[in-house]
Amino acid sequence: MTLAAVFVEHYRHAESVLHRADARVKLPTAVLYILAISLARPGAWLTLGFLAVPIAAGIGLSRLPVTGVLGRSMLALPFVLAAVPIAFTTPGTPLVVVPLVGWDVSDAGLVRLGSILVESWLSVLVGVLLTSTTPPSELLRGLRALRLPRLLVATVFFTYRYLHVVGAEGARMITARDLRSAEWPGQRSGGSIRWRARVVGHMAGSLFTRSMDRGERIYAAMQARGYDGEPRFLANPPLRTLEVVAAGALLTFAVALHLVERL
Amino acid sequence: MALAYQSAAVGLVEGPALHIPDGFVSVPVALVGYVLTAGAIALAVRMTNRQLDERAVPLMGVTAAFIFAAQMMNFPVAGGTSGHLLGGALAAILLGPWAAIIVMTAVVGLQALLFQDGGLLAMGVNILNMGVITALVGYAVHEALGPVARSSTTGAALAGFAAAWLSVEAAAIATSAQLWLSGTSAPGVVFPAMVGVHALIGIGEGLITAAALAFVRSTRPDLLRLARPAMN
Repeated sequence: MTLAAVFVEHYRHAESVLHRADARVKLPTAVLYILAISLARPGAWLTLGFLAVPIAAGIGLSRLPVTGVLGRSMLALPFVLAAVPIAFTTPGTPLVVVPLVGWDVSDAGLVRLGSILVESWLSVLVGVLLTSTTPPSELLRGLRALRLPRLLVATVFFTYRYLHVVGAEGARMITARDLRSAEWPGQRSGGSIRWRARVVGHMAGSLFTRSMDRGERIYAAMQARGYDGEPRFLANPPLRTLEVVAAGALLTFAVALHLVERL
Repeated sequence: MALAYQSAAVGLVEGPALHIPDGFVSVPVALVGYVLTAGAIALAVRMTNRQLDERAVPLMGVTAAFIFAAQMMNFPVAGGTSGHLLGGALAAILLGPWAAIIVMTAVVGLQALLFQDGGLLAMGVNILNMGVITALVGYAVHEALGPVARSSTTGAALAGFAAAWLSVEAAAIATSAQLWLSGTSAPGVVFPAMVGVHALIGIGEGLITAAALAFVRSTRPDLLRLARPAMN
């Protein structure tokens, strides 16, 4: 994986209601909405269909390019393979028998697999909407609203702050290794797998010692500015009532759908 | 089915192997994951505050950024696949288990939050598997092999390798169990597939971890003492 592939953030700037909404409202709402999606029982297609409506509306409201959102929602696709065997192993009426090997797909298995795929896709779409409309720094600010331990939140802020610094240092080391690993067509460069793993291990070890040195310097600089170990954050602006009401209405809608389904 | 899993294996070796997306874990499993993770983090925060005092935040933040960067360092294995680090065991051996849990929580949490590597509802189980279990298993195995590790360079490499390999296997077993309990995968399929694939991934993890530890031990042995503040 290249640096670009690992560190591409999903935020896309646009002017929209969703972009303006406070991360302290958006983040918990997104998590609870995903919870509501996951609560749908296998084969509850109608409930899932209704749950998809606000997501579609959200994509419209966000003014993000629809193709971009849909493309990004394919992220979880490789994981689908972990669920495919369930179509064969769930007991039920056999529908199709795979030729040669003789496994049969049952109706219950197919419903189960379909539900997993739809629920996962809708959840990923909610996640895409959240990460595309919220800048990373705002998302982290949203974490503070969840009343996590300050030490953890401060560490996460710090990690994000130095992610690109340390990441770029790592990328320079990878570039340096690649420059020393010339390849000739038909002739592989480098030694055995063990040797290659050791090179990467030494790179990681060296990056660790450099990171520790950097950490010491950062700590000294923070101390010089009066840091006493207590993480401090800027005061949050007050929550906007309209956003809280909208989030409440959305979650009430999801709960109501489940109540109707189960009655 | 065998074919499906073969291609799943390739995807797993290359990609984010254990990051479970939303929709694949059931709500009870996800909630239990959150509860267990929250407990582990609460304990880790308490222990870290006691051991690292005001250095904690910059030290752990930079280490988490380091784990992020180290995860992208890969090397070609065979057939277009590549090996790379997860880092839980390495962080635990270098920083001690409690700081490592916070560091890996920051890594896995940011991966889910910023890069959508793993779901939001599944974040509890993902942190549990890749952060808590890898750190605790890696540290425990390395401690248990302490006499071997101190005996010679080869012994130290073996201890590092064993800790890293077992930490990855433990995470794979936990992931399989969660997928099974969620009704997403059949146990007869998911356990052999995940444990088998991660037996291979674990070799890369083990070799890289052992080499990284050897490098730190020979160049900056003072940093290894971070894991044992009582001996400072």
